[in-house]
Amino acid sequence: MSDASPPPPPAEASPPPPPSTSGSPTDFLKGVVGKRVVVRLTSGVDYRGVLSCLDGYMNIALEQTEEHVNGTVTNRYGDAFIRGNNVLYISAAEAL
Amino acid sequence: MSGQSEIIDRVPKDESAPQQPEEEVALNTILPLEVIDKSIGQNIKILLTNDKEFHGTLVGFDDYVNVVLENVQEYDSDGPKGKIIKKMLLNGGLVAMLVPSIN
Repeated sequence: MSDASPPPPPAEASPPPPPSTSGSPTDFLKGVVGKRVVVRLTSGVDYRGVLSCLDGYMNIALEQTEEHVNGTVTNRYGDAFIRGNNVLYISAAEAL
Repeated sequence: MSGQSEIIDRVPKDESAPQQPEEEVALNTILPLEVIDKSIGQNIKILLTNDKEFHGTLVGFDDYVNVVLENVQEYDSDGPKGKIIKKMLLNGGLVAMLVPSIN
């Protein structure tokens, strides 16, 4: 009978997350995935490579990995998995 | 935060009664991580369990005290070590102490 107006679009379940400006560890990690990073282990060994992914344990998968001991390259790996408990820090090897 | 206000709300409200000391304590309690939250954007010194230190600008942290830092200098027992690191995420598992506002 009456011209039923189309139903309103469903309300957004939740607003989109705000841009990553808060600087939390999660935001930092979102920013460095896919970039070249330096991963320093507690033993002092550095692994430089492209960060392909990581999880909440700081388990890390790296590509094009170079192992640095005392500043010299000691090994190269195509892919490397680092168990998170060994990680001292992750830093960006290039500007974010 | 919400937990704190709940505690305060449960205190019976009597307008004539003077301020209860318990209420004052609840209001003045500062949680440890609040101290760190106030230091965001300032210089901070982070002491690790292995006698290393990281000095830099605090960008952020989480409940595990994983810490994001900028312009970081690493120190060991012999003094400064390596170059300044522009931005890094320090694993909270090794953090022993955070000392705000060093220069």
